[in-house]
Parts: sequence; structure tokens; C-alpha cells
Amino acid sequence: MLKLSNSKIISIITKLLVLVVIAKALSLVLWLYLPSDGVDVKKRYSYQPKYQRVVFNNMIIQEKKVTKKVTKKVDGINITNMVLKAIYGTDKKAFVIVAMKRFPKKTEVIGIGESFKGYKLKSITISSAIFEKGSKDYILNLAVSKKSKKSKSLSKNYIKRVVSKKANTIPKVSADDTVSVSRKDIGYFAKNPKQIWKEISIHEVKDGKKIVGFKVTNIKRNSKFAMLGLHKGDLIVMANNRKLESYKDAIDIYKNIDKLDTIQIVVIRNNQEVELVYEIN
Amino acid sequence: MVKKIVKFFIYLSFFILALIYFTPKVNLYYFGESKLKSYDVVVTDERLKDNGFSLNIKDGTVVVKSIDSARFENIDVRLLGLYNFISVDNITLASTAKAFIPVVINKINIQYHILNPLNIDIFAIGEFGKVRAVFNLLKMELDLHLTPSKLMKTKYQNGLKYLKKSENGEFTYVKAF
Repeated sequence: MLKLSNSKIISIITKLLVLVVIAKALSLVLWLYLPSDGVDVKKRYSYQPKYQRVVFNNMIIQEKKVTKKVTKKVDGINITNMVLKAIYGTDKKAFVIVAMKRFPKKTEVIGIGESFKGYKLKSITISSAIFEKGSKDYILNLAVSKKSKKSKSLSKNYIKRVVSKKANTIPKVSADDTVSVSRKDIGYFAKNPKQIWKEISIHEVKDGKKIVGFKVTNIKRNSKFAMLGLHKGDLIVMANNRKLESYKDAIDIYKNIDKLDTIQIVVIRNNQEVELVYEIN
Repeated sequence: MVKKIVKFFIYLSFFILALIYFTPKVNLYYFGESKLKSYDVVVTDERLKDNGFSLNIKDGTVVVKSIDSARFENIDVRLLGLYNFISVDNITLASTAKAFIPVVINKINIQYHILNPLNIDIFAIGEFGKVRAVFNLLKMELDLHLTPSKLMKTKYQNGLKYLKKSENGEFTYVKAF
């Protein structure tokens, strides 16, 4: 009779089983030392309502102007019903931002030679735009508030943006200014992101491990970014009432820029908080 | 004597296979994830499955510095010692990357085996075209060859500026680490 214990197969199986047990024991030891949970991103849900900016001052001024200045009416549209919101010019190109007084937010960017409501933009001066209709010239002055009329400075709501390369100066944008930014420009920079970094350098600033904002370390003179009122050394800490504590916060604003009408950013400049507001047209 | 050596290798192979089978691959993956966290890279929302000799990761999002950077449908990891293979399917990069490169990558294969012990082979195919790359472990050097797609040639010429054009129409990139 064949003794089972002497069988070669049993011997091999035993050896293999021992090896399996050793392997399992080693894996158990490994399992004890390895983490039992993975890393997950803590999603930060924001219940903050959409950022909205209401300029009451603007509404009051326009109502007054409409009652006083409506004189001539041509097909319901008259030069006096228009408001010149901004003038923008460089050595090579110039354009203006105009709107109807009734719809001040529905602005249009008009270049020289282009028309707005039948009025063709003929030329631009430092404080006015000259339109042409039916061989007659119409001068539309840059809208200014009462306060700025006295001080001969520009309106809080209608900012003149003229760049003089010869003078090599950057227009000063104060904390309360609302600057118009065209969607065309935003689209251009979205398609050519490298162009952004040619004009501006921004680096994160950390307090320990936490990001506290993004610092403007360099800004090209007379660039579009310089005209936005940003200065070298500015620390951007907030955008549309949202603290910029991560790259995600900044990217989220960038991703939704098509849906925004206004961008408000808060920068720390000379140890003081400065608010900059941009109207996207 | 030869018989004994052969026997030893058979038992050793069996032991290694048993060890690979029993290794807690999901926990090992979590360990890798915790290491990646220090570089601000997190893989989130993924589903893991230990298939014995391979680990399957499905539908994950790669988050770099808190920014959703890419999504993938499937990753298959087979680390068998003598033959190691990682396959990543259907990757979609974040829309913010669209300005730089085409965002859809169909497949990335990374392969390392004992017959070519000094090199890791990488192959990728996507909207950008085809990439063949070799990472030399001795020189710590990446040698990449890109055959660009029409889309890459027409819309993403800026990205190609970083690569050197070779005679056969390929674009090459060499980087030492």
C-alpha cells in the first residue's frame, strides 16, 4: 500500500502552501503599515451669491440728463441720447465706448470709420468724439460727473483712457474708478496666454503653507495690464468678493469670465486695501 | 545540482507571484497618493479594484494645486517585477489647457520589462498625434518623439516651437533630469 505521507505530490503541495502562508503573512505586515484611506480633495462649496455692482450715482445722473438735454430727434435716435463713456487711444489705433443713455450698460466699442446708430465716428480728440451723419458733424463730449467737472478730473464712472507713448506715462486709475475691458481683449488673451506673461508677472505669496494672494512682480509699461490700474508690488487678495487662497480660486474666475459683466479685485498697495472694478463690455 | 537550482527558481517564482497576489494593492495605491499629496497632486473621485495581479482605477480626476487638471476613464496597473505595465485610457485635460494643447488623450502606455532593463518605454496617442518616448534610467534622460496630428500642426503651432523638427517630419524633445 502506498503511504500518503511519502508521496512527492504531498511534499510539493506542502512546500507551496508554506510559501503561500509566508507570502500572505508578509502582505499582512505590509497592510498594517500602509494607509487604509486615500487622499481626497476637500471640496469647498461656495454659497456666496453672484457678485453684482450697482452704481446708484450713475442712475441719478442719467435721469437728469435725459430730461434736460433731449432736443432733436432723428428716427428716435439722436446724438444727445448717446453717452460717450470712454476714449481709448494709442499711437496706432483709437476707439471709443459709447452707449445710449437709456441703456448705459449696453455699450459698444467703435473704431474710427465705424458707425453707431447711424452716426459714423470721424475722429477723436482728448475729451470728445466727432461723429458724422448726413454731411454734418456732431461732437459728443466725454461724460463727466458734477464732482469731476469742478476738479477738472475724470468721472468715477466714465474713465478716459489715452496712452501717450511719447510721454511714457501710465494712466492713473484710482481706487473707485470703473474701467471698461473689452471681451475682445479677454478673448485674445485667452487664446494667447503667453502674451499675458509677456506683459505681466504674477507670483503666489504664501503665509506658511497657505496662499494669501498673488503679487504683481513686474508689469510692462503701457501694456493693457498697466492700463487696468495694476502696479508693480500690488498683492491681489480678492476677486469678486472671493478670497484668492489657491490657484483654483483664480482659475475659477478665469473659467467663468464669459459669464461675468463686472470684475472687482482687491489689492494691497502700500499696506492699504485698494478696490479696482472692471466692467466687461 | 541543476535540478535543485531549477526547483529553487520555480519555488521562488511561485513565492513572488503569491506575494504579488496578496499584496494590498489598494493600500499601496493610497500610500502612493499620500506621497503625491506633498507635490500638491491629488487623484480624487476614483474607484479602485484589486484584480489580484493588477490594480484597476476608474473615473478619476487629477487635481494639481487644487485645480481640476485632468479626468481619466481607466488606469490599469500591472507591476509583476519582471514585466511592469501601466495603461491609461481616455484622458481629458482641463478646458483651461485648451489654449496650449489639444485636450483629449486616447491612450498612454508605460512599460518596463527585464529584457530592456535600462529603459522605460512610453507610448501615447491623442488629438495631438502620436508620441513615442524612452526614459533612460542610467542617464536619467527623456527622449520624446512626436508625430503631430493635423490639428496640432494647424492650431497648436506654438506648442511645437518647443520641440526640434527632425528630417522625417517628427518633432523631438530631450530632457535630462
